[in-house]
Amino acid sequence: MSAAIETEGLGKRYRRQWALTDCTLSIPAGHVVGLVGPNGAGKTTLLSLAVGLLAPDAGTIEVLGGMPGAGPTQLARVGFLAQDSPVYAGLSVADHLKLGARLNPGWDEGLARGRVDRLDLDPGQKAGTLSGGQRAQLALTLAIAKRPELLILDEPVASLDPLARREFLADLMQAVAEQQLSVVLSSHLVADLERVCDYLIVLVGSRVRVAGPVDELLATHHLLSGPYRDPATLPGGLKVISASHTDVQTTLLVRTSGGILDPAWTVFQVGLEDLVLAYMSQATGRRRRDNHHLEVRK
Amino acid sequence: MYLVKCEVVVIEFHLDARSGVAPYRQLIHQVRHALRLGLLREGDQLPKVKDVVAGLAINPNTVLKAYRELEYEGLVAARPGIGTFVTGTLDGGPLAAHQPLRRDLARWLAKARRAGLDDESIEALFASTFRSASEEDIA
Amino acid sequence: MIWLTWRQFRIQTLAAAAALAAFAILLAATGPHLASLYAASAITGCHGGTCLTAVSGFLSRLSVTSPYSLVYELGIGLILAAPAIIGIFWGAPLIARELETRTFTLVWNQSITRTRWLAVKLTLTGLAAMAVTEALSLMFAWWADPIAKATGLSQGFLVFPPFTGGRFSSLIFTTHGITPLGYAAFAFTLGTATGALIRRAVPAMAVTLAIFAAVQLAMPLWVRPHLIPPDHTVATIESAQLDFGNLTATVVPGHQGAWIITSAAINAAGHPVSTLPAPCLGPPDAKAPNPGQCMESRGYREAITYEPASRYWPIQWIETGIFLALALTLAGFCFWRLGRRRT
Repeated sequence: MSAAIETEGLGKRYRRQWALTDCTLSIPAGHVVGLVGPNGAGKTTLLSLAVGLLAPDAGTIEVLGGMPGAGPTQLARVGFLAQDSPVYAGLSVADHLKLGARLNPGWDEGLARGRVDRLDLDPGQKAGTLSGGQRAQLALTLAIAKRPELLILDEPVASLDPLARREFLADLMQAVAEQQLSVVLSSHLVADLERVCDYLIVLVGSRVRVAGPVDELLATHHLLSGPYRDPATLPGGLKVISASHTDVQTTLLVRTSGGILDPAWTVFQVGLEDLVLAYMSQATGRRRRDNHHLEVRK
Repeated sequence: MYLVKCEVVVIEFHLDARSGVAPYRQLIHQVRHALRLGLLREGDQLPKVKDVVAGLAINPNTVLKAYRELEYEGLVAARPGIGTFVTGTLDGGPLAAHQPLRRDLARWLAKARRAGLDDESIEALFASTFRSASEEDIA
Repeated sequence: MIWLTWRQFRIQTLAAAAALAAFAILLAATGPHLASLYAASAITGCHGGTCLTAVSGFLSRLSVTSPYSLVYELGIGLILAAPAIIGIFWGAPLIARELETRTFTLVWNQSITRTRWLAVKLTLTGLAAMAVTEALSLMFAWWADPIAKATGLSQGFLVFPPFTGGRFSSLIFTTHGITPLGYAAFAFTLGTATGALIRRAVPAMAVTLAIFAAVQLAMPLWVRPHLIPPDHTVATIESAQLDFGNLTATVVPGHQGAWIITSAAINAAGHPVSTLPAPCLGPPDAKAPNPGQCMESRGYREAITYEPASRYWPIQWIETGIFLALALTLAGFCFWRLGRRRT
């Protein structure tokens, strides 16, 4: 299966700050890929680079084998939903559909109309008066009806209430099932990604911390609990993501391809949320350690 | 005469996000459970993938994985372009056929109570023994 | 893309059409009567001295009869303001609003490159801007034709406000001929470029207005006189038909309808003077019947810097050309600014 997005040492700078550093990824097609990380980690930057709204300052990026935003053909293959789904407030829902029809040779009018009917959107209503959830659905309709191969969504449900959030994701998954879309969506809420994603990328502090299929990540990360152990004495095959110690007990979140053989440890399954949190704290912990030389985290 | 095609939705899936059991396993369990109870019979159609994901907001690959494993177990068969249909049964016989097992279990429970274990300890003991036994099976 | 440009631009287009229509109706209602007044004034086919009488009669009548002076001032004002209004309301929001409301994330992800998006928007709206402004100018020129003919004959002598300007005067030159096209194109692209730079519509509107107003003031004052190097001449006081209030010539001898840029009286030694020499201030006597002869007998002359009438159209073309070139440069800046390195 070819890669949906392929990056090599990708970097983007705003004035002096690097918003994205040394990003090397090979995101497979045919998956729903979750991009998770705290605000300011670089998610929007990465997605904007993939869509061609920004150009890299370092490294390369290839989307569906082509250069992002390179021309009408490339633009037609990638659908995009920006944060807060901006729409033209003065144009009606029907005007937006007409916009899509006029500007996209691959536009599927039947699909667009079907979605608008199913979602109970009033074609004559001005887009500025739509609710947040309806705006997101309108923007999704525009992105889907041009029949792209890849759909990129930047925090699509962040500002939606729980019901609208569920409906949006359900609708998105239905479109994925019907059209065999590849999807990349970002969020800072791991819970939403958990249901829909089968590939995960964790982005913290402008760097990729971990990336891989969700099944594989869950199978190779474990929570170990046992008597206090000096971190330096752990076997080499274990990669410690986060550690916390009391006087008598050590709890570790580790990544390993093999099993845990040492009987002193009690092994627990790790949920996706804990996994992401561990990587986030690893990133901030490293920064803190550089500043304050702390080793023990309570 | 008109031939009206009705889509009879036989079962509806639900998901317990907190159970710790992988979603695709939960779907498999629900299909097997329905088969066992006789809710699903041979020839019935399983819900279409797009309808399942529309209802549950989960990844289509999850549903496909569940259906594939059920097909591997010989319980369902996929007909391309039409859907996935039930082909086997899970008649382990009515639960009455397992009377000996039931009696052994009742005896063991009585022993556990006499040893002073309360409900929670009995459940914990059962769960950890069950888990390590399953792991031994895999290993 | 053409549909989208129109749809986003609907209100502005309709407003412009309404303004044009209202102005046209006003001109159509008052034009014929103005023409008949002109016909009755016997200016056509006049010679020499009778021309001055006929012209002064016509213009004085016009300046007290309403609504002609009002319509005249309205027309000039409208043509002067149109480019600025276009720059503010059509130009500044074009790019700035898309950036401000982030709708560019929607439209630049359709199957259309931002280059094509900008090219269609700039071309269609820019052409509309030029057409509207030039239409105002042409309509007004048709209506004011009798006045232009009359002031052309008056040789700068007669002053009947507001009909004071010859075709070279600041206001008239800027609002007639083809210069409105240049101003409209410049103001529009100035607006879009400012919007692309500042990225917010309202501040861009303010900056566009400020810069354009400054340019509109500076051009006739400091630049226009030098577009073609002017000619110089020294004339006798009599032939220059001096205005003795400020000692400036009102006519360039041998060059009818010339544009007098600067004019100063010089004494016999060649130095400019700003007041009448003392002896010429007194009551006229037998030796020097009027101030003009008095000055001439003392060796005073008039130094004039001027552009002959034949340079009217060349200067129009050069000025329009400069503004069109500026407009193209600003448009090019917009394309560059929207490049993918900076969103």
